[in-house]
Amino acid sequence: MNSLIPLMVIVPILCALFLNLLHKKDRTIKIIAIILALILPALPILANYGLHYFGGYVPLIENPTLGTDLPSLITGTALNTFHPAITYSFQSAQKIFVFILGLVGLLAVFTSLFETRRPSGVYGYMMFMGIAAITAVLLTDDIFNLYVFFEIAALATVGIVLVSNIKGNYETALKYMILGGIAAPMLLLGVALLLGVTGNVNITDIIYSLKNGLVNPQSPVLLMACGLIVFGWLYGSGLPPFHTIKSAVYSKALPSGAALVQAFSVFTFIALGVIILRIFSYLPFSQWVILGVSLLAMILGITMAILQTDLRRMIGFLAVGELGYIGIGLGLGTVSGITAGLFQAVNEAVITAFLFIGFGTVLYQTGISDTRKLGGMMVRNPKVALLVLLAGFAMAGVPPLNAFQSKLMLIQASINAGLPELGVIMILLSIVTFMTFMKAFHAVFLRPKPADLEIKNENIPKATIIAMLVFLVVCIVFGLFPQVVTSYLQPLATSLGGVV
Amino acid sequence: MNLYDLIVKKIKDIQGTDDESPITNISTSSMLTAEITLISSILVALIMLRLVSKILMIVAVLVVLFAFLVAMPLMPRFKKEQNDSLAAMMFYVILALAIVIALFYWGNLNV
Amino acid sequence: MIIDTQLASLFTAVALIIIGIFAAAFLDNLIKKVIGLAFIGDGVNLFIVSMGYKAGGIVYIYLPGMAADWFSQNASYPLPFAMVLTSIVIGASTMAVMLGIIIVLYKKHGSLKASEILGD
Repeated sequence: MNSLIPLMVIVPILCALFLNLLHKKDRTIKIIAIILALILPALPILANYGLHYFGGYVPLIENPTLGTDLPSLITGTALNTFHPAITYSFQSAQKIFVFILGLVGLLAVFTSLFETRRPSGVYGYMMFMGIAAITAVLLTDDIFNLYVFFEIAALATVGIVLVSNIKGNYETALKYMILGGIAAPMLLLGVALLLGVTGNVNITDIIYSLKNGLVNPQSPVLLMACGLIVFGWLYGSGLPPFHTIKSAVYSKALPSGAALVQAFSVFTFIALGVIILRIFSYLPFSQWVILGVSLLAMILGITMAILQTDLRRMIGFLAVGELGYIGIGLGLGTVSGITAGLFQAVNEAVITAFLFIGFGTVLYQTGISDTRKLGGMMVRNPKVALLVLLAGFAMAGVPPLNAFQSKLMLIQASINAGLPELGVIMILLSIVTFMTFMKAFHAVFLRPKPADLEIKNENIPKATIIAMLVFLVVCIVFGLFPQVVTSYLQPLATSLGGVV
Repeated sequence: MNLYDLIVKKIKDIQGTDDESPITNISTSSMLTAEITLISSILVALIMLRLVSKILMIVAVLVVLFAFLVAMPLMPRFKKEQNDSLAAMMFYVILALAIVIALFYWGNLNV
Repeated sequence: MIIDTQLASLFTAVALIIIGIFAAAFLDNLIKKVIGLAFIGDGVNLFIVSMGYKAGGIVYIYLPGMAADWFSQNASYPLPFAMVLTSIVIGASTMAVMLGIIIVLYKKHGSLKASEILGD
């Protein structure tokens, strides 16, 4: 048992509560938030792989002394192998995911502290609470626990939107909550059906029951459960039909908040997608649904992104569209496809955060996000323009950067899986993504400055530049040495792809 | 009237007169790109139907191509459908719920 | 008894969910929409609770003097009840946030019509 595993969730929750208590004390908030945020990416690096049982109950089979007094009804059946505790599983894939989430969280908190004039404890609370929830979603092996933290993450997202003070944020938050009010209970209903059929909420045990014939895998109730969980997955990650609301949520949050919220979506996508693959991989249909939805997300997200005139909305739609690439990797179901998809998820969480924070500097300086009213920002700070340009290159998949590697792997995987059409579509949409980005870049940085454009804040905080540089370094390192990441992802991909 | 003016006129028609912003060069070319991307990626995606049946694929591609040609400026309509009003979002969410459940329930039983 | 308790609860749960979705989709008043969402959540909770029901089962508390064999065969299933408690808490907090936002929006727009406030 490794005591650092629960700390990955406990530290951000404690930090969140602390920040809320210290509501008015600005300096203390800054110092505590930075110190605790630095712990976030460090914890997964230091922790060892293993399982953690909340409640301390290991399966009876691993500790026979516990079962000495129990009737053979329990010790003699499958109950002996089941997990009677909320189990958190920390393996190599979780290590890299939690590390990237912690890194994005750290940099988002870091930028937010220096960009807002008065660092607000409440905003920090929401950010840390969201990080804790998504870490738990990534780690947990218990599907009901996943639902609980899924809802907490949704509430934290709403909180991040409410704090932003952008026009229309309350309306968007309420819309998100109303749609969530329909979708989240459907996810819970799916969990309930799984519980009803298998008598379990632990994913490993559910799979054990399905594999060993304890329940009938073709039971219609299980098919229904799969459908409902897929629907919850659509909501949690912002795939169509939730792409409009999700991009609106991104656009109504502060840049640092949006950077974090998109990381939440990416990791929710991965966590639930992996669970769907693990439990329902015996239904070939579930993979086709993942593929179809991902294709739709790519096409709708990216075509909608070109049409937007609002800068934040444009990146929001791009972020939704890029999710489709991850889904295609998962939907292919082969080991190389899943590895590529997971790698793309890691890259996307970094790159989209990079873009949000990069374009956020423009918002910080002008307070305007309408591309038709912006221009000439290149003259003011060419360094930031260069960084944003590199972020755009990374997103489109230009060679030395990380998304090039993952997109190349995805295309190779799709060709090897006998679906070269997907590769063609991915290349086509990458080009359009780049065009969308260049359109925004031209409007903001290259075009002559409109006469009526006012600059509110002259200097961009150093913290923002540092955050962007860190993102750039991560992009370059992952781009030059992709095996650093893929070696962590390979075991999970093999366990998923081996099933098919 | 050349092709460009035709496209601008069509966009104006669909956007309505209440939008005060002028239709710029950039917005027209964006609309065109989106349109072409949408059509080409859907057509390429349809080729994957060959795994089910080759004849079905040919028929589907031809029918969809014809439908697209008839209903040509698709993107303005798509944009109109994917607006931010709660009613539209709710409609698509419930529609998606119905489709997902129906697909999983009947799709798996008959595979 | 014409219909057994568990089946009746499941039917009620499904009815609640469908009524809730209908209300959330078609009623224009924001408060009524939220009530509809509460219906959906309650329907799902009722569904989970009724799954743990066991006809003639006993409360799952192991008291001294009970035979372990007899207890493990007759106790009802405790997991759904524990889950429902958590789920109710989450539902309540979500609802509180929603109603809070509605108060703000009412002050801003002076109306509770979803078509006015949450339109395009």
